[in-house]
Amino acid sequence: MAVTTDRAALNEWIACGWPEKVVPGGKYRTVLLGQEIEVRRTGVSSFEVFECDGHGELSRSLPVQAKYCCIFTTLGEPIRPLPKIPEFDEADRRITGCGSVGVHTSPFRIIENFLDMAHFSFVHTDILGAPERTEVLAYKTEHRKDVDEIWAIDCQFYQPAASKASKGGQMTHYAYRVMSPFSVMLYKNVFDDPTRNDAICLFVQPIDETECLAYMPLAIVDRESALTSIIDFQQTIFAQDRVILENQRPALLPLDPTIELPTRADASSIAFRRWLKAKNFQFGVYEKKAA
Amino acid sequence: MAERPDRWIGVALDRQIKPGSSNPAIVGGNAIAVWRAEKGPANVWEDRCPHRGMRLSFGFVRDGMLRCIYHGWGYELGGHCASIPAHPDLAPPKTICANVYRSEERYGIIWTNLSESPNAPLPDAGPDQGWQSIRSVYVARQVAAVKGGLASFDWGGGRVEEIGEGAALVNAGGLSLLIAIQPVDESKTGLHVVAKGEGAKDAKARLAWASRLERLRGSIEAQS
Amino acid sequence: MAIKLYDYSLSGSCYKVRLLLGFLDLEYERHPIGFYPEREHRTETFRAINPLGQIPVLEDDGIRLRDAQAILCHLANKYDMSGLWLPRAPELYGLVMMWLMFAGGELMAASAARLHDLLGYDLDIETARRNAHAAFRILDDHLTRREIEGGTWIVGDHPTIADVACFPYTALSNDGGIGLEDYPALRNWLRSFMHLPKFDAMSGISEFA
Ligand SMILES: N[C@@H](CCC(=O)N[C@@H](CS)C(=O)NCC(=O)O)C(=O)O
Ligand code: FES
Ligand SMILES: [Fe+2]
Repeated sequence: MAVTTDRAALNEWIACGWPEKVVPGGKYRTVLLGQEIEVRRTGVSSFEVFECDGHGELSRSLPVQAKYCCIFTTLGEPIRPLPKIPEFDEADRRITGCGSVGVHTSPFRIIENFLDMAHFSFVHTDILGAPERTEVLAYKTEHRKDVDEIWAIDCQFYQPAASKASKGGQMTHYAYRVMSPFSVMLYKNVFDDPTRNDAICLFVQPIDETECLAYMPLAIVDRESALTSIIDFQQTIFAQDRVILENQRPALLPLDPTIELPTRADASSIAFRRWLKAKNFQFGVYEKKAA
Repeated sequence: MAERPDRWIGVALDRQIKPGSSNPAIVGGNAIAVWRAEKGPANVWEDRCPHRGMRLSFGFVRDGMLRCIYHGWGYELGGHCASIPAHPDLAPPKTICANVYRSEERYGIIWTNLSESPNAPLPDAGPDQGWQSIRSVYVARQVAAVKGGLASFDWGGGRVEEIGEGAALVNAGGLSLLIAIQPVDESKTGLHVVAKGEGAKDAKARLAWASRLERLRGSIEAQS
Repeated sequence: MAIKLYDYSLSGSCYKVRLLLGFLDLEYERHPIGFYPEREHRTETFRAINPLGQIPVLEDDGIRLRDAQAILCHLANKYDMSGLWLPRAPELYGLVMMWLMFAGGELMAASAARLHDLLGYDLDIETARRNAHAAFRILDDHLTRREIEGGTWIVGDHPTIADVACFPYTALSNDGGIGLEDYPALRNWLRSFMHLPKFDAMSGISEFA
């Protein structure tokens, strides 16, 4: 496995674990963009990350930040700070990670699926979508140039059981926010309360172009459910997505719009692919081979 | 992209592609979906939905259409997309079409030709009627080794005769076996076997032949 | 006389039990275990319930049972008045037991592959996949013979707890990177199972068979 040379990928903060993955004093190895790294938990909430050389010896020390139930590092010079997600500081929210889940596909397939509402009725049947209510109403996408984020707003979809706290169906209102090529989050209104939103994140650690770990930190409004049940719900949803993600062909994301055919419901996917193309991404992207 | 020569290749027994089902197979490194509506012949398509690339072998059949499991797009027999559930009122553009390969049912076997301009004839094993399915077996060896194994196997006195590149006939004690040979990839070959004649009429005889084919698989895989 | 199941949604073994509870229309209390990332099943508290540190565990009327196969036997023995899910006829009973052991034994290689790919378990994935394929081939050969005889199920003319026990990790094989291209009889059996009345899917298995 070679380390990528794609600067667009190297110059991002990327999740590489979560604090409770090891006990204080412990360490583990993992791989980021083809580069083996060692993560050390030096105290309760202090961490160090090192690059490993070809012989497994530690070489360079890497920047590290622990935030949003994840540990982040970078192999390059980050072109942006970690995103601001103020919901993680609100006292009345339930904050938790869900560990990591392995997925064999491109990191961008994982991000794109998170942005997609059209699959709810078929993949998350009777939970996030009903078989007889499949319509995706028009929504808006925008590129927020000041922060270089892609947003999809005014999204809505009928959901039989939108969250662990739900007691019935509802028209759920969503906003989606792509914060970097490897991180995305959504806001969805809480059951029976249009004024408050659950915040659900998805951070992707690309091990290589078609092998990833997915982290799903949550900051949600739910006074009743046990944390175990909240995590169980989120993992149930993601395991439904995972079987789709691992069976898309090609695994790498095609940016050429003639290879896979979108409709209006795919506006956020179209915006995301254009944005990656404008960044001249090579890593994780499908290049049609000349015949 | 794997090669797609102008050649008919058996990919399944007719009887094992059930009505209202979609099934995965690999032919010379190409992933295909073999599916059948509630009734009618089997269809062979590229295993890839034109929308977002989901494998169509994971799809489901409703009202004569193959629906993709990811967003439920429905494809009619010729491959045209006729339904996009995210936009119930939209007539899908004619340009959205699954990649359909040629397929034929003959001798109780489903054959496909993946070539863009298929001209080759199907292997000729005589009249179409009277063939009974025995079973499919997948052997963890490439085609050449499997053909060698077919030739040297003890068929109970019968002889193996190749009919074209993709099939073989065995005549053994009152029955003929037709074996379609499916190259899967560099390390695997599928065999789809049907039989005709007195010796294949009852289930007991067919069971014995199914067991014999397991032994064939074992004998080929035992060679290094 | 409440039934209580220590359960985790993504566990194929717990799913065996949930399936039979569903087929038998039994009410039960679900006690969710934080299997991952909390690893609650490895805590001292849970080891007091099951010293093996595994789920599922079932409690029923003062009896506490571990092992999905044992739990299936218990439930069918106690609650299935029809006797169809656990046939007592001498020509069927032993066969059902044999395939139950296979589900809890050889087939668990497919579970190992899934835990490796999904939750990052540290094990030899190539060995797990090879062993899973070997088990699938054995089951596919058996179901092929059943098809030729005119049968659909692993044993007899009605689905039994052998089918229930073998279904989850076969249907979830893709989660561990194992395709079922080579096993046509196995695929058709899975489809028949999914068409049973009261069948309930889990994550990784489509609702739309
Ligand atoms: N637990 C979340 C599910 C979020 C999630 O993991 N899924 C992504 C992947 S498809 C998504 O788009 N979810 C939509 C959603 O959250 O409703 C919820 O409350 O609904
Ligand atoms: S990928 Fe097939 S319908 Fe979307
Ligand atoms: Fe999803």
